[in-house]
Amino acid sequence: MRFALCVLLVASVARATETQTLPTGTFSLDVSYLSSSLDKQWSGDRKAISLIDDSPRYEPGAGLQGILRARPRAELSIALLQILYGVTDWLTVGLYVPIVLQAKVTTNLSWQPGDYQSSVGRVYSFDDFWAWAASLGQPRVPDQWTGNQGKLSDLVLGGRVLLPRVGFMEKSHFRWAGTLSVALPTGTNFDPEAAVSVGTNLWELNATGDVETHLAADQPLFLDDDGVARVNLGADVFGSFFYPQRYVAGTGKVNPLLDNIAPYVGSTYTVNPGSWLGASFNLEVSPIIGPSRASIVSGGDAAKARALPALLTLSAGITHVRTAQTYWHSESPTWDWDHEKYWQPGDKTTVRVGVTVSFLRLGVPLQLYANYRTQSLVPGRYTRAADVFAVGARTVLKFW
Amino acid sequence: MKTPRPLTLMLAVSLGACAPATPPPTRELIDVKGSAYERGLSHGTQLRSKIHSFYTTLLTNALFPYLSREQPDIASFLPVYAGERFQNGQFAYQLLLDSAHAIEKSLPRAVHEELQGVADGSGLSYDEVLVLNTFVDTVMAVRGVALAIRLTRAPQVESIEFVGVDHDGVDNDGDGVVDQPGEGTFSPWVPALAGQLVEVPTTTTIRMVLTDADGVDPASLRVSLGDSLFTQGSDGLTITSLSATRLEVVLATPLDAASIDTLVISAGDLALRQQPPPVHESFMRTEELVFTTSGAGLAPRDVLRPALNDGRTRPPGFAVGVRRSATQGAAAFLATDFALLDANTSHKHTAIVRHQPDSGPAFATVGWAGMVIGLSGMNANGVAYACSPSDTLDNSVVGSVFAQVADLTTATLTAKGTPIGFAGRKVLETATDTASAVAVMKSLKHVYGWACTIEDAAGGLAAVETDSDIFNDGSGGVFPYAPEDRDATGHTYSSVGADDLITGSSFTKNVPDSPTLMIAGQRLVPQRSWSGFFFRSRRVMDAVARKLTAQYGSVTADSLQTLLSDPEVVDHSDSMNEVVFDLGRREIRAAMGTEPTSDSPFEITPVSP
Repeated sequence: MRFALCVLLVASVARATETQTLPTGTFSLDVSYLSSSLDKQWSGDRKAISLIDDSPRYEPGAGLQGILRARPRAELSIALLQILYGVTDWLTVGLYVPIVLQAKVTTNLSWQPGDYQSSVGRVYSFDDFWAWAASLGQPRVPDQWTGNQGKLSDLVLGGRVLLPRVGFMEKSHFRWAGTLSVALPTGTNFDPEAAVSVGTNLWELNATGDVETHLAADQPLFLDDDGVARVNLGADVFGSFFYPQRYVAGTGKVNPLLDNIAPYVGSTYTVNPGSWLGASFNLEVSPIIGPSRASIVSGGDAAKARALPALLTLSAGITHVRTAQTYWHSESPTWDWDHEKYWQPGDKTTVRVGVTVSFLRLGVPLQLYANYRTQSLVPGRYTRAADVFAVGARTVLKFW
Repeated sequence: MKTPRPLTLMLAVSLGACAPATPPPTRELIDVKGSAYERGLSHGTQLRSKIHSFYTTLLTNALFPYLSREQPDIASFLPVYAGERFQNGQFAYQLLLDSAHAIEKSLPRAVHEELQGVADGSGLSYDEVLVLNTFVDTVMAVRGVALAIRLTRAPQVESIEFVGVDHDGVDNDGDGVVDQPGEGTFSPWVPALAGQLVEVPTTTTIRMVLTDADGVDPASLRVSLGDSLFTQGSDGLTITSLSATRLEVVLATPLDAASIDTLVISAGDLALRQQPPPVHESFMRTEELVFTTSGAGLAPRDVLRPALNDGRTRPPGFAVGVRRSATQGAAAFLATDFALLDANTSHKHTAIVRHQPDSGPAFATVGWAGMVIGLSGMNANGVAYACSPSDTLDNSVVGSVFAQVADLTTATLTAKGTPIGFAGRKVLETATDTASAVAVMKSLKHVYGWACTIEDAAGGLAAVETDSDIFNDGSGGVFPYAPEDRDATGHTYSSVGADDLITGSSFTKNVPDSPTLMIAGQRLVPQRSWSGFFFRSRRVMDAVARKLTAQYGSVTADSLQTLLSDPEVVDHSDSMNEVVFDLGRREIRAAMGTEPTSDSPFEITPVSP
């Protein structure tokens, strides 16, 4: 059993359903805090199972000592800084800076006793097993691990193009946009020698692809006289592609019973992540549009102020992602399969709700938002189910 | 409207990577031909990945650390093992390598070349391949020494007495004498291969005396009879301390009439030992005594051990050869369940290696990646063998200590002779029938104790038990017998009829395998007094005997497959392969690649491609 959680899911497709572009010369600064938790994966028959295989432990020639079970729960705190700039009214570029504030893994280890061990006159207890393991140089796996404080994940560069609209689109206020994002490999892999460890690159966070393309559309409905929609229907189709990841294999110098794989796996191995295809649907309702006033935000124009986003917007959405097979490539196909069997072609469904409070109409260049996204509600297949709560603040700036 | 180009690319990439991964085989079939080196090279090349994986996961990650736990005990007895070369985790590897080099001298040149071929093909070093192919016998021998030493610290059964049996008017021990003095009393306690008492009155009280220099812990005492467990405080069990070192245990419970019962006894001592962890008392081997009660009507020799369902016993390996009157159409089959050491890895590395040598018959071994040996196999002449370990202190490692006993400061535990897998290989390479195969076994000095069954397509059937004959008892360390052979009491050794032989993981003919004596402060005893396999082996052999009797005369390859997969005879933790050799058809039917092996289907492989 290896307790390193090489992958944590942050249940988000970060920029789905968005067709928003910034006005020319405008900056948007967005700071958010994400709290993600993950404690299960979906099996091939859509059952929730542990993130880590049971580990039967054997005493050579004396049968099964017992089964070491881990039901790990991983919690991840991330600060996400997004800086966007409107190059033109139809082209916005951005930089996304995810910083891991802390990763915490609670291993939740348990023990199922195995065969009677005649050498000690009993079946091994959990403590017996660890005493035995210690005599072989294997330290006890901690109940809890925290780390990665302040570590950078992969930086992401992105661009969004508001696509041209033909007559009927314009008439119905339909918008559509294409988005392309590309990650820079600034994150880290998990520690191959640690019994419990989490990496920070995008593949390990599993939130978004290294390269992503989105085609999103928004259809506002029930617009008032100022063009503010009471309802917005959004849709997004996207593809995500991950770079092959190269890992160093553990040599067992710290955990000889758990991590000595290099002699047969090879000193390094590669993970070729399966790509994603996904679609999102989003419903936004603005029950309170609120008052407005001419201000610096609207350039002193009262009409423009009335057209700014509603004071309160509630949203709900669903994202369905099909995932392709993820392959491990080492010198041992047997070891590869031990991983690949949980990363076969599958799917996952994210359900999300959110609320946004926008003060732009009031002359304050600030939007606050919170949302909750869960992959636990709808069982998936060969994917991991993360739940994420996020809060953030966004401001719009124009310096000239 | 055009789809944006990047999206098109992404869709293509995504869809192109949808093919699900497929599991690699956990059982391999490879064909090798040519010279010994060429066959080894082909083997090493074809199974390169699995050989590395098997070596690391079984030896480096499991067996070496496990053996290294014995270092302090062994070094206190043989100080060489406290030396520099054996430090820093090198104890097990160096110890096994020393033995491997000693064993290597007994192996023919062709074997060296084949091992070199495996090394060149796989990328392991020659020494690593040598260790991989010799460790089984060496580890069994070293483990035997360590276990025997450990058991001398544990409680011993001093005596077992069935009170009143010596005046019940019945010949309870089958010696032809009724109620002779001492009938029903076993002092000293020596286990027997079959039933030890028959027709015991149902009101009999059983009195046992246990002894240990550190005192016997009454709280650890377990006595079971049938499905009833008795511990300290149980009704019917009385525990009395006779002295600081002796404990009397009296079991007074009504017995069922006309039944076969197993009395099971275990206990630990009062000294808590820190090494090797976890902290533990020294526990005696679980002792068993099989008896019948009034009305059963069986002679001791005819008593078959009943199944034990206490969750503390696992069936070890066995083999059964059948022929002529036992089978449908007078076919010849050899079937084996091999069980020893899976460690959650062996089952992922199973392999049938089919050889087409430049000269001699084609043959196939049933084994594991990187091992040129197999513990069973068959050749194109229709000769097959199957072996299971049979613990003995009459082994070459003990012999090496004997040879150095005058100065233990330089003595080492070194195995010598031919490991059973290489003996089997020689059988496959040269034997034309069972008689010539037995002759091969007789021509070799053996590293350790094994119980093998050999059979040919014509129905030649023999069992061969081996030890290292370090006591020079004149046997040469080889004890063959056939279904028709009789022991001193006039009974067949291990047959239920005229045309079968059952061998287990214990000796049937080689009894006692070693004398009882003290040497260098350590007590040497026969297999039946120390081996953890002994009672389990006798039980699985009896289970096989019952199942074979039920189908005698109509045995087929299919029915043998069913027998081998019966839960009563399959070790759920350490089963390694189930094989039926169809000698007439020259076919190998093997179930392997899972743990337990009974979860695998039998697949048929002709011995020649």
